[in-house]
Amino acid sequence: MKVIKKEDLKGFIDGLIEKGEREVVGVKSKDSKYVFDTLEDAEELELDYDVTILPPKKYFMPQRETLVEYKTKKGIDMEAVNEVIPRIIIGVHPYDLEAIKQMDKVFADSPEDYNYSEKRSKSILIGVNMQKTSEWSFAGSMGNATIDDGYDLMLTDLGDKYAVEIGSSKGRELLDEGSLKIRDAEPEEIEEVENIEEDIKNKFEKELDFSPEKLPWLLAQKYGDEDFWEENAEDCYSCGTCNIVCPTCYCFDVQDFNDISLEEGERMRQWDGCMLEAFAEVAGGENFREERAERYRHRYMRKGRYLYNRFGDIACVGCGRCSSQCVPDIADPTDIFNKLWRDKDE
Amino acid sequence: MKPEEKPKVAFFDFAGCEGDQLQIANLEEKILDLLNIVEVVSFREVMTEHSDDYDVAFIEGSITDTHNEERLKEIRENADVLVAIGACATIGGINSIRNVQDFEKVQDRVYGDERDHYEAWEKAKPAKAVVDVDYEVHGCPIDRDEFLHVVQSLVMGREPHIPDHPVCVECKLNENVCAFERDEFCVGPVTRAGCDSCCVNEGTICWGCRGMIDNPNEDAHEEVLEEYGLTAEEVMNKFDLYFAWQKEVRKDE
Amino acid sequence: MNKEKSPYLPENATILNVEKMAEREKLFEIELDSGEPLNHEPGQFVEVSVPGVGEAPISISSSPTKEGNSFELCIRKVGNVTNVIHTLEEGDQIGIRGPYGEGFPVEELKGHDVIFIAGGLGIAPLRSLINYTLDRREEFEDIKILYGCRKPCELLYEDEVEEWRGMDNIDYRETVDECPDDVCWEGNVGVITTLIPGIDIDLENSYTVVCGPPIMYRFVLQELKQKEVPDERIYLSLERRMKCGVGKCGHCQINGKDGEFYVCQDGPVFNYDIVNDFEEAL
Ligand SMILES: Cc1cc2nc3c(=O)[nH]c(=O)nc-3n(C[C@H](O)[C@H](O)[C@H](O)COP(=O)(O)OP(=O)(O)OC[C@H]3O[C@@H](n4cnc5c(N)ncnc54)[C@H](O)[C@@H]3O)c2cc1C
Ligand code: SF4
Ligand code: SF4
Ligand code: SF4
Ligand code: SF4
Ligand code: SF4
Ligand code: FES
Repeated sequence: MKVIKKEDLKGFIDGLIEKGEREVVGVKSKDSKYVFDTLEDAEELELDYDVTILPPKKYFMPQRETLVEYKTKKGIDMEAVNEVIPRIIIGVHPYDLEAIKQMDKVFADSPEDYNYSEKRSKSILIGVNMQKTSEWSFAGSMGNATIDDGYDLMLTDLGDKYAVEIGSSKGRELLDEGSLKIRDAEPEEIEEVENIEEDIKNKFEKELDFSPEKLPWLLAQKYGDEDFWEENAEDCYSCGTCNIVCPTCYCFDVQDFNDISLEEGERMRQWDGCMLEAFAEVAGGENFREERAERYRHRYMRKGRYLYNRFGDIACVGCGRCSSQCVPDIADPTDIFNKLWRDKDE
Repeated sequence: MKPEEKPKVAFFDFAGCEGDQLQIANLEEKILDLLNIVEVVSFREVMTEHSDDYDVAFIEGSITDTHNEERLKEIRENADVLVAIGACATIGGINSIRNVQDFEKVQDRVYGDERDHYEAWEKAKPAKAVVDVDYEVHGCPIDRDEFLHVVQSLVMGREPHIPDHPVCVECKLNENVCAFERDEFCVGPVTRAGCDSCCVNEGTICWGCRGMIDNPNEDAHEEVLEEYGLTAEEVMNKFDLYFAWQKEVRKDE
Repeated sequence: MNKEKSPYLPENATILNVEKMAEREKLFEIELDSGEPLNHEPGQFVEVSVPGVGEAPISISSSPTKEGNSFELCIRKVGNVTNVIHTLEEGDQIGIRGPYGEGFPVEELKGHDVIFIAGGLGIAPLRSLINYTLDRREEFEDIKILYGCRKPCELLYEDEVEEWRGMDNIDYRETVDECPDDVCWEGNVGVITTLIPGIDIDLENSYTVVCGPPIMYRFVLQELKQKEVPDERIYLSLERRMKCGVGKCGHCQINGKDGEFYVCQDGPVFNYDIVNDFEEAL
């Protein structure tokens, strides 16, 4: 573990911005909330934020991105497109790092999605331990209050300085790049970080009443209880907010956008969500998840079971974005998951 | 993909502000591209000639009296394809507020002393309440890119992508702070997306100008607005600004 | 980016021949411009791409045992992409991605009786396997084909069906839901399930392969249950909304009490015993 003075870190970041080799991105405030955005000055960085509106997945899988460019004037001519901007992303919380680890598996799974993986491999992730927690977050219950890997560097606020944990050779090389005033951590500082990490675990207002490994089993039990899902989904707008803001949602739609000449255009993918009504509809009007309740259930199945069965991960990392941004306030996973626990058959 | 012959298009206005035609007249450099794929034979906003030989009719404005109705039916007869543009033509628009107001007062306000000369209807109607409509370009005013997309689609004979999900989708993609987290209230959750949530991006709210999605959860949203402290009347006003005609149709179903 | 790598980039292909089969269906013979064979298995599908309009998943309707490097797709016009494909002619280019998905378990079926039950357009994916079994007739035991469609004019692959009618090493039966008075039809009239009671199924030694519209599955499966056909001896080909075809976009996922599948990767062909409990599958 290393230690760096806060002002030195600022200087280091300003140096990276000035160098312009990579885009430097960090957490900034937007009205009363926070977002990941391009930094023009290290001064803009707000490392003591609670949660951002969108997770950092937008840098690896942008809201809208071109997959293929085509020309149709003489026969057809298609070319794969992948716009990769190397980035340093500063201020990623442990739950978001966990989500990125999960998405890495999804997109690396054969056939590999290079539009994701090349953006991902060209980025450097600088994590930060939480100083504040969102009132909706339950990352502690999901085991994501802190994290041991998935970052290149990890910062912990120690008053006028940061402890820096090096997580990868990419992280180490980055530190070597600038003429950085950094020193090894003293034993007391290491202990302080350990204490902080221990404390964070108890800082969450929302909690799961049981251990998350039980989720796949609980969801299987509740799958067929239609009344339950209907009751809980009654006020759902099918607005997809809970999908879009979720760091482990990755569904997308693909559409062709023609240039007005009608002779060339782009095939683009954009974020989609299983809560939206047309998600499973096919030509002719058959909709395989027509009811709000079916779609509502599907999302919980995805979060608590699907990725677990496929990749061994519970896909809800506990960030609380879905619940904080659902206008009718019906998307809180702790609410549903705790009900599953309450209603379980032994 | 490009068809051999350019379709002839004509623009017609009914009760509306002509703001949508202005959007089209202001397409600037893109207007030339547009003229590459269609031939405009009638467009009051930019030309004086007029022709009744057209394939595609664009209708702006809502239908508010029998004279309008007959004229629209005639246009429908003439055109192979009929496109409603702008909220007035697609959902009755702002004009349909009167649908829920006292008819006498509306007539006084709109026509004053001349009111007896007009056989104005009690309700403003969108084009599809009177004739079959092939394509719709929503919004008040319409979005230029969406207009171009619809024109492309009809030239190619395909269905355009018009979203049937709420504005919230785009609003979240744009990473806006939700109106409800700013102590404001918005009808985005029941309104059809497609405008890229432009009003919220500018720091305001969604008023619903693109009309409701096909299957909105109005009940839930009315309840939520009341929970946030709006009076029943305030909630009604939010919904009636643009949705009056749609709500009535849904009620009748 | 190395463009060979993107799973979303289609390969160029050319239409060699178009044959109108019924009011809404055409058969397209296609060859990759690379000249390479598609290398598919019966039951797999491709994503057909019309740049400027989009993509549609379509089952490969020809058997890999077919001569030459071309393959065939039977396409019904129902929407944006399929409408445009219907306007294409010999010599036109399209894009192809694939073959994708899990096809029929050909090796498992070898040495057994195979019963095909096809409803409507369901014949398109089944034909890849039917023709495979016919081309390698000696590797399979008894073959039965039950084929139903709504009206005689909707019957697909007429020339081939005419051959099947005359073949003595298979048992071919057909039915239409209804037949207008002025049409000559010698086959059965009634829904496809009415053909099932009349066939002998060697429960120990046969596999049944079913493909048709969603509604058909329920009734056919009920009928097969009556005959005591074990679930694990039934294979189905399912259809879901698809975008990517490669297990990424999430659209084709179905859930059940015991798990979940991506139809594009884990299917489209499924063993009935596995999807049986899946409320969303059938
Ligand atoms: C595994 C599989 C095999 C298929 N095989 C055949 C076949 O052999 N012949 C045939 O005619 N049809 C087949 N279909 C159905 C065919 O894919 C749809 O009819 C087609 O996608 C409709 O596209 P469209 O653009 O014309 O219609 P639109 O209604 O304009 O569809 C828009 C988009 O929605 C999606 N979509 C709509 N309907 C379907 C659907 N039924 N399945 C999957 N995605 C859909 C597609 O992404 C499509 O591009 C198959 C579908 C699947 C999943
Ligand atoms: S649960 Fe909430 S956020 Fe999710 S779709 Fe329904 S209303 Fe929208
Ligand atoms: S489901 Fe909700 S709490 Fe869980 S990871 Fe997604 S947004 Fe966060
Ligand atoms: S299926 Fe739904 S929950 Fe799962 S990743 Fe896609 S949008 Fe998210
Ligand atoms: S501001 Fe309006 S449109 Fe945007 S998310 Fe909130 S409710 Fe939806
Ligand atoms: S945000 Fe709402 S009011 Fe604004 S353009 Fe879109 S639909 Fe209309
Ligand atoms: S079609 Fe995209 S996951 Fe199956």
